[in-house]
Amino acid sequence: MSKSIKIALAGNPNSGKTTLFNALTGSEQYVGNWPGVTVEKKDGILSGHKDVVIQDLPGIYSLSPYSIEEKVSRRFLVEEGPDAILNIVDGTNIERNLYFSTQLAELGLPMVMAVNMMDVVKKNGDKIDFDKIAKALRCEVVGISALKNEGGMEAAEKVVEMAKKAVVEKGPGKLPDVPHVFSGSVEHAIAHIEESIQGKVPLRSIRWYAIKVFERDREIIKKLEIGVGEMKHIEEHIRDCEKELGDDAESIITSQRYDFIKRLMDKSLALNENRKDKATLSDKIDKFVTHRILALPIFILSLCVMWFLAVAENGPGTVLTDWANDGFLADGWHVPFTTHECRAEGKYKGMEFEDAQGVFAKQDASKSAWEEAYLEKINEGKSDDDKVEEMPEEIDEKVAATIVAKGVFVEDEETGEPLAKECDCENCAKKRESGEECEGCGCGCGEPDLWDVDFAAYKAAKEFEEPDPKQFGVWVPGLGALITDALDKAGVSDTVKSLVVDGAWGGVATVLGFVPVIFIVFIFLAFLEDCGYMARVAFIMDRLLRRFGLSGKSFIPMLIGKGCGVPAVMAARAIENERARRMTVILATFVPCGAKTVIIAMFAALFFREQWYVAALMDVIGIAIIILGGIALKKTRFFAGEASSFVLELPAYHMPTVSGVWHHTWNRLKGYVLKAGLIIFPACVVLWFVMHFDWSLNLLADEEIEKSILHDLGSWIAWMFEPLGFGSWQGAAASVSAEIAKEQATATLGLVAANMDGATTGSHIQALFGSVSDFPKLAALSFMVFNLFVPPCMVAIAVTFREMGSKKWGWFAVGFQLFVGYVLALSVYRIGVLVAGGGFGIWTALAFALDAFCLWAIFRPGKKVKS
Amino acid sequence: MNVSSLVVLVVIGIFFALAVWRVAKKGAPCECGGSRKVCSRKGGCSCCDCGED
Repeated sequence: MSKSIKIALAGNPNSGKTTLFNALTGSEQYVGNWPGVTVEKKDGILSGHKDVVIQDLPGIYSLSPYSIEEKVSRRFLVEEGPDAILNIVDGTNIERNLYFSTQLAELGLPMVMAVNMMDVVKKNGDKIDFDKIAKALRCEVVGISALKNEGGMEAAEKVVEMAKKAVVEKGPGKLPDVPHVFSGSVEHAIAHIEESIQGKVPLRSIRWYAIKVFERDREIIKKLEIGVGEMKHIEEHIRDCEKELGDDAESIITSQRYDFIKRLMDKSLALNENRKDKATLSDKIDKFVTHRILALPIFILSLCVMWFLAVAENGPGTVLTDWANDGFLADGWHVPFTTHECRAEGKYKGMEFEDAQGVFAKQDASKSAWEEAYLEKINEGKSDDDKVEEMPEEIDEKVAATIVAKGVFVEDEETGEPLAKECDCENCAKKRESGEECEGCGCGCGEPDLWDVDFAAYKAAKEFEEPDPKQFGVWVPGLGALITDALDKAGVSDTVKSLVVDGAWGGVATVLGFVPVIFIVFIFLAFLEDCGYMARVAFIMDRLLRRFGLSGKSFIPMLIGKGCGVPAVMAARAIENERARRMTVILATFVPCGAKTVIIAMFAALFFREQWYVAALMDVIGIAIIILGGIALKKTRFFAGEASSFVLELPAYHMPTVSGVWHHTWNRLKGYVLKAGLIIFPACVVLWFVMHFDWSLNLLADEEIEKSILHDLGSWIAWMFEPLGFGSWQGAAASVSAEIAKEQATATLGLVAANMDGATTGSHIQALFGSVSDFPKLAALSFMVFNLFVPPCMVAIAVTFREMGSKKWGWFAVGFQLFVGYVLALSVYRIGVLVAGGGFGIWTALAFALDAFCLWAIFRPGKKVKS
Repeated sequence: MNVSSLVVLVVIGIFFALAVWRVAKKGAPCECGGSRKVCSRKGGCSCCDCGED
């Protein structure tokens, strides 16, 4: 069996390694233009070369063992030893990137340097002499553009060719041709060290090891097991150099490398004369975007724009979500931009569908009002047992003739608002024309529209049938309707139909219905990421967090957390300081992730249509908790200490490619669709069973749900949610099931509210919150806040425990998140109720007490602990 | 319970079992928005946490 060839893809952070890796291997690795996205090496097979493995290494600036990324890359390059290196270098920052390249060259491995972003270099009018760089660093140099997929494969082919040649030529005792970049005395000392360590290291890397010994790299000296006498001799040479050059060994190596690079750049880099000393477009944009005062408002504004597009009334997100929820996934929809006039003969002929619905609703209201009045009349004086509850088929005409009921037309069945009367008096007509509110003329305009319904009107109303949407224009049936029709045609029993339609499909459809909102949020974030703005956000947050003793490095996992909490928690690995890393793991999931976006989308659509800013507020609250929680934690002895340094490159702004934005968005969306099928579907089937069976496993009718297992389970813990305003078995079941996956909260709400008043899932959920609180909007806000800020889903909790490294710290993280979520929801509901005139109670006092405790934890003097 | 109902129940049961089996084998699906996708030497890529393809 032939041995595979290993090619290491190495370079500085944000130089385009992962983009090139994806292009070369056809993988879909996550690409972000901020440092720390890749914390582990990843393998992929080079397209068209089954025997070539490309290994994407974390981006690093040097081969020093300081950060976790450096350790991962160094261990692989030095100990595991790839067959060749593909060094990717940012052509627009070539001078700084070459520092790492000189170290790679010293490893003595065949190397191809791929100078990336050559499209930008050419656009800038700069020129790079590849031949001179190649000669100086003893490697091949090619120009590429990873983003535009130009030249990458040629560079890979070249490095494969070199690797294969090296494998064939590999022989003992052959010294590689490596660049000599240091002054005479340093080279002299290195030569002595090389002599001392010969035989202990592979000959090809002997120079690299010798330089590391010269730098007094403890890890390498320990590994080489250099004897005391030998080390004493080496130390003499190092000290001689330090004395001569007036600096310590590590600094000598660093400064002489930069001197070498400077000389090389003077010969090989020609910057466009017109561009020199001129501010670039990125610099000009950054003047505003990273401005000391404007930066944060601009960031919040960008979040507001995103949420406005996603959830504002009549915005694209809402329109698409309504279509998905009510049309595509439910009954069906009329093809837009076509006529919706009724073609069939009858009462609605020539009418638009919406008008026909209005007519029917009013007639239906007349019918209901009269029937109610008739039943009341015929039940007069009867005992409860004798009372008639349903309209009899035979109507007593004598009694009927005496009845004149008051009809009231409910305009909005979701809010229950009755239709306001519009009178025809001159005063009101004038005011309506001028757009003014009509009040005070005593005509009753604006009051509920009540009308008389006598027997004749009732008989006329009975003639009206509900308009059939199929008779109005081109009607496309929705998936829900297709499933129901298919089950009806197959003659499936009502119970099984309920399992499929309300349970399995209902839950999945509730989650999928909000995909348009997630799509808009992710496409917006992908655009911000790809154009380079998110890297600025990390910079802005670093400046803000640093004031409170926190590092911007902690914000990178939080940026990733907007997509999913699991990689966010894992990205904290890049933070070297253990205290800072633990704190980041605890705080990272407070940024509402994609799954939580479904919860925000549902509540924004059902309760806050006119207050779209509530959705944006959830992101702002998330960031505020991170800052305030970070401050509070920093003041405890477990997390006290200096903030670690944060190196961040700001990439030049550029217009993102459509494929790049789509790639980012689709990768994230795909996860939701999969999750709906693999997690939400089975969870909803289980929930349906526990909702439709009692403890003796008897099947329950819809009206017997209160005997169900789910009802009992929810009721046992509902008291915990009572102070938060949603203390019902349904609210408890939805909140607990959200730990399976956060979007399960929406699916469970849809399922457990199925028996509530209303015609749609949305109206059932509104009725559910109306039934548990006098302040349904506040209860809904409290439910949303609770589910957004308590511990994340089970997978994220498991990763938190793993990354924390101990159960004690894992429980601390979960406990802290639970405390924050509960206190926030309690405060939102209880203080909200107080402001809305609902009175002051013991829970309000507790909310104030807990808020005071939190403020004390934030503002108290911190512990001074040596970092 | 009629035959159609039984068939629908069996279909739901199969989908349920497949979903549970898949999650048990490969872990919960995830939105691979982060740095946890790993490509194996055989060429296939999966999420290092949850095993999502």
